[in-house]
Amino acid sequence: MLSEDFLNKASVQNVLAEMEITRKEIAKKQVISSILIIAAVAIGIIGYFLQTNIAVYIVTALSFFIASLIIYSSITGKNDDYKRDFKEKIIAQVLKQYDESIAIKPGIGLAENEFTNTQLFSKEPDRYHSEDLITGRIDKTSFYFGEVHAEYKTSTGKSTHWHDIFKGIIFVADFNKHFNGGTVVRANMLFSSNSSWFENVEVVKLENVAFEDKFTTYSNDQVEARYILTPALMERILSLNSISEDTISLSFYNSRVYIAFPIDRNCFEPPVFETLQNAKLLEDDINVLDAMMSIIHELDLNTRIWTKD
Amino acid sequence: MAIVIILGAILLIAIFLYNSIVSKKNQIDNAYSAIDVMLKKRFDLIPNLVEVVKQYTEYEQTTLNKIVELRTKASSGNLNDTERNDVDQQLSGQIKSLMVNIENYPDLKANNSYVNLQRTWTESEEQIAAARRSFNASVTNYNDAIMTFPGNVFASMFSFQKATVLASSDEERKSISAKELFQ
Repeated sequence: MLSEDFLNKASVQNVLAEMEITRKEIAKKQVISSILIIAAVAIGIIGYFLQTNIAVYIVTALSFFIASLIIYSSITGKNDDYKRDFKEKIIAQVLKQYDESIAIKPGIGLAENEFTNTQLFSKEPDRYHSEDLITGRIDKTSFYFGEVHAEYKTSTGKSTHWHDIFKGIIFVADFNKHFNGGTVVRANMLFSSNSSWFENVEVVKLENVAFEDKFTTYSNDQVEARYILTPALMERILSLNSISEDTISLSFYNSRVYIAFPIDRNCFEPPVFETLQNAKLLEDDINVLDAMMSIIHELDLNTRIWTKD
Repeated sequence: MAIVIILGAILLIAIFLYNSIVSKKNQIDNAYSAIDVMLKKRFDLIPNLVEVVKQYTEYEQTTLNKIVELRTKASSGNLNDTERNDVDQQLSGQIKSLMVNIENYPDLKANNSYVNLQRTWTESEEQIAAARRSFNASVTNYNDAIMTFPGNVFASMFSFQKATVLASSDEERKSISAKELFQ
């Protein structure tokens, strides 16, 4: 899908022009607010070192600080609206270009318990955030995907450090075969911990050498794992993996396939300090959407020749 | 004293290795019976399939009779492994060509029962293929254990034999030409 074609539409241009006014206001106030805070800190420091008339410096610093807070809080509401408008007015229209059924719900994401139940990753998150749920149906396959950021913490004495379990997009689609248990395909890591809460999980050694090089497969049923991971599907997974920045993970669970695509940035967010009226505005987001929409075709999920409809 | 500890350690390792090889061998039997289960599921589809086809056409009588005959032979239970494999593959081939011929009967092709049976059959075939792959993986796992050091020491001591993977018959390896099928 070409972002230029979409951006050149009159209706889109109008919306972007309106939003550009809001954006400039938000950007201006954020800059002022930041300058005030820096000034407040600077004045505080100067006052501390000069040691005379400290009260004056402290009062000025405090008032700058309070002004900054007031300005900042005046725009948080506007900023939230601005982001939501971008998703509901611009991104939603982009999605309709792929299929009428596709919609975005910015405030909702993938549920945390669904994330942990898929066993895509061996660690349970201590902090979890998900947003921008996109749902739809292409031909016979219904799907949804959303941004997920899951982290775990380690504490050494008094300090806690946060580490990423996963940051990116998790894509979920109705799978075209019936299966009962769970099978997980994880990226090979040097020290992979196989802690999971499927019962009787075993490693499944598959025949495709390139596949085994990149992934390790775990399942609670050796035959079912091979029923799902046919030689054809393994090849398709490898080609899907080549379009991702980092190695993907897959989980076949509860009649669906879950695919985790690691992506470093926060997708579908409007710029604050760059103009909206820029031909490259949607380039990165459209690349991500193109990739997601191609999955159903890549994995041939619309072929329904087994007992699952 | 040191000698006792070393001997003890060697004994423990020996026990561990032996048990590991035996459990891999048992896994092969387990995988073999998994194939059996899938084959039985597929067998059970055949009577329904034959009935549905009979209702719609009298033209496939020869094929249907052959299929029923093969099925009876297979479920008689007194075949050895090679014979069973052979019958199973013949059955597969007959049903495959039957399904190709059914393309000529639009009423039958559209019949719900037939479509369901056909989809269940395709699923069944894939599950059998998965069970066979699983069996081959167990065999390879076991063979690796008895052919690499230190397992091979035990293999010769306790006469563990190498197992064979399931291979396609020459019949299956021949490229199928669509022309032949439609004759």
